Amino acid sequence: MTPVPDRFPKPSFSKSIITIVGGYGSGKSEVAVNLAKHLIHSQPEPVALADLDIVNPYFRSRETVRELTALGVTALVPPGDQIYAELPIIIPEIKTAIEKKEGKVILDVGGDDTGARVLSSLSDAFEPGNYELLLVLNASRPFTADLAGCRAMIDEIEAASRMKFTGIISNTHLMDDTSTGLVLEGLNLARAVSEKTGLPVVFLSATIDIIDNLNPREVTLPVLPLDRSLLKPWERRKKTSGTE
Amino acid sequence: MPKILMKGNEAIAEAALRAGATNYFCYPITPQTEVAEYLARRMPEVGGVFLQAESEVAVGNILFGAAATGKRVFTSSSSPGISLMQEAISYIAGAQLPCVIVNIMRGGPGLGGILPAQSDYFQAVKGGGHGDYRLLVLAPSSIQEAVDLTMLSFYLADKYRNPVMVIGDGMIGQMMEPVEFPENYKEPPLPPKDWACTGAKDREPHIIKSLFLDPIALEENSLILHRKYEQMKTEEVRCELYKTSPKNKILIVSYGTMARICQTAIDELEAEGISVGLFRPISLFPYPEKELYTEVVRKNIEKVLVIEMSIGQMVEDVERIVKGARPIQFFGRTGGVVPSPEEAKEQIKLLLKKETIAKPRKKKKA
Repeated sequence: MTPVPDRFPKPSFSKSIITIVGGYGSGKSEVAVNLAKHLIHSQPEPVALADLDIVNPYFRSRETVRELTALGVTALVPPGDQIYAELPIIIPEIKTAIEKKEGKVILDVGGDDTGARVLSSLSDAFEPGNYELLLVLNASRPFTADLAGCRAMIDEIEAASRMKFTGIISNTHLMDDTSTGLVLEGLNLARAVSEKTGLPVVFLSATIDIIDNLNPREVTLPVLPLDRSLLKPWERRKKTSGTE
Repeated sequence: MPKILMKGNEAIAEAALRAGATNYFCYPITPQTEVAEYLARRMPEVGGVFLQAESEVAVGNILFGAAATGKRVFTSSSSPGISLMQEAISYIAGAQLPCVIVNIMRGGPGLGGILPAQSDYFQAVKGGGHGDYRLLVLAPSSIQEAVDLTMLSFYLADKYRNPVMVIGDGMIGQMMEPVEFPENYKEPPLPPKDWACTGAKDREPHIIKSLFLDPIALEENSLILHRKYEQMKTEEVRCELYKTSPKNKILIVSYGTMARICQTAIDELEAEGISVGLFRPISLFPYPEKELYTEVVRKNIEKVLVIEMSIGQMVEDVERIVKGARPIQFFGRTGGVVPSPEEAKEQIKLLLKKETIAKPRKKKKA
């Protein structure tokens, strides 16, 4: 059997700035961290990940700084013990990175419109039409379980960030209770949102065990395998034999 | 209803609504602010009251006044905010009013930090405010359990006319897990709230107070409270055992999410051929005293290992209950540092290496 990752194309981007936003708990940070790990391996340009989460105190991408740095990803996070704060600290290097557009810069933004508000203070640094603003969609979350909820979320985030979405990431999951069926239902919702808004579903993200069960004839879009790294203290990393 | 993915703070908020608590008063503090954020969104949908007060001191006193109407009322906060409420909590207990207080603990003392801790055990279980009173304290270890215990806490508050505290480390508030809410939630019947201040038309006014100038009357009030706490000790004890076995030499005692870290350690040690069990109190007051004593002394455990996200608080209750019958070892990290499964395993292995104390021989039945 072909190794799992090769059965599906992987996400790739022509644009330099990839901004990851979405509702609380949609899985933005896990997607952002795994996207950084994928891009550092799959293309020659440098990759930076900026943690712009100013609303969550725990489970933020900054917890993976050591791992990302070891892989060669530049982690743009607050210095010293400010890394532990949930204060609106935006280090100047982030704005510089957005303006310079060197390599790939992944921006991991906090949840909901509250978290996305941070973008409005940076929005003049973005070159119009030359960035990705991607909505991470988890249909298992109470406020994005249906089309109306997703559209409200899109409107709220666009208003707070003063930016326009360019695409959708289908990331429906229920942590360890995720089933293949659930992931496919989530993809259907993402497709429905796409139809209504005209925003493309850019990729689907899921853990390897789920991707194993996906049918490439059914899932005809790029797939990002997730190797969960923002774990609870009692959780162990799953063995991921299929990853590159 | 299918499972949904919720952050602990949101799930606690939704659970309270589903238990009919539509009066919420708060002041924001990390790591529990999502309770308030969620309810600011949901309360208008259910026609409830959401009020952000000017401080936690005000919140405590609003709870007192609102609880006196007989409606279900609650608040949530984190360690420093809970400290500010202590005066009012003592008044609420003294006046025999039901209310629910959620404490999502962060590292202390003082302003401390925002990471998870269990260092408010003394405050929750041993008083916090002044006077002879107790809180009924429930400690969930998962988001589903946080939902179930939050719903239960409103029933228990009404049953005993006493404040109930749901206590969790910051992880309980911040982590996401799949949850399910019960369909057609029903509670056992409760006595009518014939003490509530609902307007004294055509009846004598009800006066709710914690002031008793006559010492005999004040003592009587404290004795009424005391009898309720004794009733709790017989009716409200909750605990859970994990992989306990008569073959085990060591029993771990741990609560909240710390217990789940211990479970990972226990599972991994089992794979190495080392069998260890866990005792997890769910009610911290009333503490499962008989249950713990049985697991340790009656079942011939050689050593007890207490693990907490504190410098050592619950361990004092374990010592009180085991009464010197077995050696008790403590391990804890504090200030927001969470003990890892590796640390727990290391502690267990160290204990096993140390000279074991011979099991007392069972007395032969006559």
